[in-house]
Amino acid sequence: MKKFAMIHDENLCIGCQACSVACRNEHGVADDRYRLQVRADLKGKFPKLKLNYERHSCVMCDDAPCVEVCPTHASFKTAEGITLVDPTTCVGCKYCILACPYDARFVDPKSGNIEKCTFCFETRGGEIPACVSVCPTDALIFGDLNDPNSDVVKYASTHSLELPKEHLKTKPNLGFVRNYKGGNHE
Amino acid sequence: MNRRSFLKTSAGVGTLATLKLNAKSSEIFKGSNEKGVASVCEMCSTRCPIEAKVVDGKCVFIQGNSKFSSNKTSVCARGGAGVNQLYDDQRLVKPLIRDGKRGSGKWKEASWDEALDFCAKKLNEIKDKYGPQAVVFTSKSGESHTQLVNLACAYGSSNIYSHWSCCPITEKIAVPHTFGSSPKRDFANAKYIVNFGHNLFEGIVISDTKKLAKFANDKSTKLLVLEPRFSGVAAKADEWLPIRPGTDLAFLMALIHVWLRDGKYDKKFVEKYTVGLEELKMAVKDSTPKWQESHTGISADTVERVADEIYKASPKVIIDWGHKTTTTRAEYQRTRAICIANALMGNFEKEGGIYFGKNSKTFNTLCGEELFPVLANPNSVFKVPKTPRIDGCGEDGHRHKFIPRKHGVLMDIVPAILSQKPYPVKGWVSTRFNYLINVAGEVDAIKAIKELDFVLAIDIYESDFAHFADVILPVATYLERDEGIQDKSGTAPGFYMRNKVVEPVGGTMGGYELFRELARRLNIDKDYSWNTVAEYRMQQAKGNAELIASLEKDGYVGWKVPKVYYREPKFISKFVEKYPNASQFVDENGNMSSLMKFKTPSGKIELFCAQVEEALPGEGCLHTKDMDCYDGYDLCLMSGKTPIHTNGHTQNIKVLNDMMSEAPIWIHPNTAKKQGLKDGQRVLVRNKFGEGRAKIMFTEGIREDALFVYHGFGHISSGLKRTNGVGFNQSKILNPADGPVCGTMVTNVGVELVKI
Repeated sequence: MKKFAMIHDENLCIGCQACSVACRNEHGVADDRYRLQVRADLKGKFPKLKLNYERHSCVMCDDAPCVEVCPTHASFKTAEGITLVDPTTCVGCKYCILACPYDARFVDPKSGNIEKCTFCFETRGGEIPACVSVCPTDALIFGDLNDPNSDVVKYASTHSLELPKEHLKTKPNLGFVRNYKGGNHE
Repeated sequence: MNRRSFLKTSAGVGTLATLKLNAKSSEIFKGSNEKGVASVCEMCSTRCPIEAKVVDGKCVFIQGNSKFSSNKTSVCARGGAGVNQLYDDQRLVKPLIRDGKRGSGKWKEASWDEALDFCAKKLNEIKDKYGPQAVVFTSKSGESHTQLVNLACAYGSSNIYSHWSCCPITEKIAVPHTFGSSPKRDFANAKYIVNFGHNLFEGIVISDTKKLAKFANDKSTKLLVLEPRFSGVAAKADEWLPIRPGTDLAFLMALIHVWLRDGKYDKKFVEKYTVGLEELKMAVKDSTPKWQESHTGISADTVERVADEIYKASPKVIIDWGHKTTTTRAEYQRTRAICIANALMGNFEKEGGIYFGKNSKTFNTLCGEELFPVLANPNSVFKVPKTPRIDGCGEDGHRHKFIPRKHGVLMDIVPAILSQKPYPVKGWVSTRFNYLINVAGEVDAIKAIKELDFVLAIDIYESDFAHFADVILPVATYLERDEGIQDKSGTAPGFYMRNKVVEPVGGTMGGYELFRELARRLNIDKDYSWNTVAEYRMQQAKGNAELIASLEKDGYVGWKVPKVYYREPKFISKFVEKYPNASQFVDENGNMSSLMKFKTPSGKIELFCAQVEEALPGEGCLHTKDMDCYDGYDLCLMSGKTPIHTNGHTQNIKVLNDMMSEAPIWIHPNTAKKQGLKDGQRVLVRNKFGEGRAKIMFTEGIREDALFVYHGFGHISSGLKRTNGVGFNQSKILNPADGPVCGTMVTNVGVELVKI
């Protein structure tokens, strides 16, 4: 069985939003909503500055609060570790939206369904997600954690990863290589 | 109950089945009603090979073409948004003829026949009355420019323009003046890169961007960025020097001063391959590190240290030149200084340095047989008429002597129309070049357009220029048209070709067909040797149907050839192993020095340009005149690219507009507070050339004496409904005076901010 995971290397990311456009076109994401965003965060005082690009999307928790709180079990984990929502059993109570520590879910205004990043599971079935395929600088790495030869395993074993809000013990399957650049000047 | 057991028993079964079905039916590019079409992007000027996914005849997704290994499946935000432009309900699909005053935004739809005949009639009227030179032709770069050039030549006008003079013209002229051609930069293998704002992380060229990102993330390399603001590329630097706007040249001349003073340069290389060392020494005699301090704001110690670092890392160094080369009137000398710095480091034809691009013709010579196809040029029959241009480009004795006659100086069009000098200009044909956003002097440009007898705009949207036209012909987007074969060689031979992804929406016409048809109706098409793009391609390929078939299928065709740098014996021996014929070019040192031919008048790299000195005294060697871009004001407003938009083209595309709908002016909080300005406030940006209203945005990421704005906003066309009236158009306050030698429009300009 495969276990999908993704890494966002903030040092390779240039904040160009190619991933966002790909995601919006792949899934027809409604205006003013997002499955995925990369936010630019400028820190420091001139000229000691740092510009961080941070990905915001579902982190595919192994122990997912959204699944825990769902009264109808519409939110569920697939065996491959992907968190999905079954629209046929979802009653739209939005508990999952409140429970998600990553602010990753939203109500689609057209369908009323709860939506979020799915690693493009419903459109690509475990193949490389849209955002990963287009990334101009290969800042996104995707693959099967159970395959020692996968890109994601190789990357994870050679880079120091940070898991988002690790203290919450949600066990995310989206990891970050944090930005170490910036703050240098004469 | 856990999720899996739930799935086995209840409603979840249906869900999983649905998901599985979806996953199968939409496995990318594989379904029965789906296809992948390999083509070439045109959302900016880079032309990245792409693959478009088409479902039921509709393009639904765009990614990079993995056959082109430099890019793989990568595509930028704008490239991905090609599909949104294609199906935008605000794009034009029917020819429009003006039905009110110019600029009223009132149009009546016309048939193609009616519109083309009307254009032909109007253009022939001008030709009969004033001569063909009375019509100017402007175009965005690429194949549409080539086809517009053909049309203009056939019509008989020498007044042909590309976007060069408001963007890359200095690079296009100064680099060949030094090297005889434009070398490639080996970003993938360099150890040290000095970047003067060549902002590959915001002005994206995927193949180079990818390499530079990897380079910047490599702990064993150094990226030094000199840039007045904390740009995308500055943010990834190992060292960022926030240099004062316009003073790169002073820093470069100090670097060169140090290298020559200390003898820290590749003496053997300079002796063998360059001319003008003595003139260069004279030119940088006084440009000491101490001297540059007051110009750049960078300490003398830093210059000394950096000079030493670069020299130690050479020859695996790149002193990088930019694409948009418009920072000061001294731009020609700045770019020349960058080229000279490279030459002194002896990085030419070295791994990790700079090198000649090598195409199929070069490889055929090296290999001693015709292994790779060489293209024919069906356009060569079209020659720019010898009649004098309104801007004097290419004429002996004119300050624009060195500017190519297919590219021109855009800023000279409007004064020529308004003054009717050197002769009357009565018509303007423009294909996708939005003069009003991109060229200095918006107010005068509108005045000039209104005085013309006939204005034709060929565009996808009712751009600001199109807004003032008499006729708009809606051109097919790149996803709806076949085009010619293009060379994509670098270290190995390769070609790419744009293929039609979907049938044109609403019957729009591609540039090739459109200009060809216009030529026919103008009765000036006797020199066209082709009627269709298919015939054009076949002429290019010299009947090689196999090449065309491969390009139709794969979009990109390349050959695996061992990389060869002419001064790297270890690469050369590998190449000779595979292609023994090449051994005849190898000298006693294992180099291919006989192939180091520079197409300059001296046949060498020109540290001093005698031809330039002769035509334009004082410009043959480096000097520091013309660096100032403050013009007496306290603030310099700079502009640049964002990765989300392309110049003035994309602001109305919904998905991109949603991501970036406005570009406020960056200002340091200390600067703003001195004037009592608040974050987000609207101000008047003013100087002696004009004024405009803009919003300001506080950021720490800029020097206190500089302002910055992303170029491309401030549209005035009512047809651009999403972006009309939003943001600041910098062309309102730019100085229309061009820079020496290259005719560069300068996009750094002194301004003041006034409370409103």
